[in-house]
Amino acid sequence: ATLCFQAFLQMCNLPIRVICRANAEYMSPSGKLPFIHVGNQVVSELGPIVQFVKAKGHSLSDGLDEVQKAEMKAYMELVNNMLLTAELYLQWCDDVTVEEITHPRYGSPYPWPLNRILSYQKQWEVKRKMKAIGWAGKTLEQVLEDVDQCCHALSQRLGTQPYFFNKQPTELDALVFGHLFTILTTQLITDELSEKVKNYSNLTAFCRRIEQQYFEGHEKESSTIAARSAKKSLLR
Amino acid sequence: MAAPMELSCWGGDWGLPSLHPESLTVMAYAKFAGAPLIVNTINNSWRAPKGDIPVLVSKDTVISQPAKILNFLRKQKYNADYELSAKQGADTLAYIALLEEKLLPALLHTFWIEAENYCSVTKPWFASRIAFPLSLYLPGKMSREALNRILLTKGGPPLYTLTEVEAQIYRDAKECLNLLSKRLGTSQFFFRDTPTTLDAFVFGFLAPIYKVCFPRIQLQEHLKQLPNLCRFCDDILTCYFRLTVSGHSPAGQDTADANLQKLTQLVNKESNLIEKMDDNLRRSPQHPPRKLTTLKLAAGGEESSPMSRLSP
Repeated sequence: ATLCFQAFLQMCNLPIRVICRANAEYMSPSGKLPFIHVGNQVVSELGPIVQFVKAKGHSLSDGLDEVQKAEMKAYMELVNNMLLTAELYLQWCDDVTVEEITHPRYGSPYPWPLNRILSYQKQWEVKRKMKAIGWAGKTLEQVLEDVDQCCHALSQRLGTQPYFFNKQPTELDALVFGHLFTILTTQLITDELSEKVKNYSNLTAFCRRIEQQYFEGHEKESSTIAARSAKKSLLR
Repeated sequence: MAAPMELSCWGGDWGLPSLHPESLTVMAYAKFAGAPLIVNTINNSWRAPKGDIPVLVSKDTVISQPAKILNFLRKQKYNADYELSAKQGADTLAYIALLEEKLLPALLHTFWIEAENYCSVTKPWFASRIAFPLSLYLPGKMSREALNRILLTKGGPPLYTLTEVEAQIYRDAKECLNLLSKRLGTSQFFFRDTPTTLDAFVFGFLAPIYKVCFPRIQLQEHLKQLPNLCRFCDDILTCYFRLTVSGHSPAGQDTADANLQKLTQLVNKESNLIEKMDDNLRRSPQHPPRKLTTLKLAAGGEESSPMSRLSP
């Protein structure tokens, strides 16, 4: 998720510095990561950040007409609905992944027994949410199928264009890049999730293009290393 | 394809075949795709609603969520999306996600959480269709599930109180309605001239907001300011749901019939009157062409006699 923001801010040509902190979740006004700290203001979550940036005079979606804006919002919801929920499911509801990767990672800044308690608490919260939206009964295969359907839809929408709304990147491009790049580069027990995404060559090309255009132009080491460690220690 | 398919779902009122958004979506899709469904509305019998409604039963297969039911119907060759391009198929998924994220919470709130609405409309309506003693328990359970869903998905910090969450979800819902209205524009359906899956979902979510008479109706008022969406719902209701579901006449059909009857009666009365006047004129003493002069002479008498004959 950090990457969505970085990508979005890079696309707006706004310089940023990524800092990792263990208590980042508590510093954030909404408890969600990541958040940006600008002068006196602290803003978290993609929606408010986009509006904040827009209020300061930068916007990526001004060139779109009303119908396209509606489409963009719909696709952003699709990504949030399917990809984000699938990522959460995989991190917290798939027992193997939870034991081997998520618990150690989430509890790593804290001493025992706090690390186990906090990660069990988080897991319980996520499972409750899955139950409320009807994902609790899904098996891993069904979740992967949903991810596949979502990637298929994104791939169809992207087609052969460079960005989702042709020549200019928008918030949707930033969001999709963030999620897909994370899926492609994060090490999990199995590679099934990233395989699903790799099936769609235009999506992998899209990710590579954005990475090259917006991330390699700047100091490669600091931004990508910071991004990778941000992923590791600041899990949602 | 030949196996009969039975759909169990919640019934309807206020001119709708069903009050429940998911049930309505499935029914609408079946009409669009021409799938022959036997619809069983849940009534006050001992066959308690099991699990999630709507439920489709075909031979030995039991399927329960709208997306899965629609998939099953497509596999049975009842496909309303046959003519859509791949991009339009992708758009369908995206807009359905938008509906579920932005509109569904407010819809659930209006039906199940808003106290006045729940106590005066939703709970009595659903309780009357469930057998006792389940009717005492099930509506409460559905309400708690709705609240849970809203709080877990939308109620994270910084929205701590229910009022703040409510304000946010209604804002989101109104924005979603505006977006749908812009996307629909002046066309009859969302993609070309034939209705598809997206139309079924939008209809399923919008029609209950549009038609059900609640005491607290801020979402309905907002919807009524978007005439193309209202027209969309009305069109689907008149074109696809004119024939009634399981022999239960919707109120709309009744008023149309009543109006037709009244009109026919009026027309009949008029023609009766005209016939009577004709008769009277013929039966009245024949006046040769001198009629005018005799009329002048006996104006009072002439005028009064036809009147007296006409009055009962």
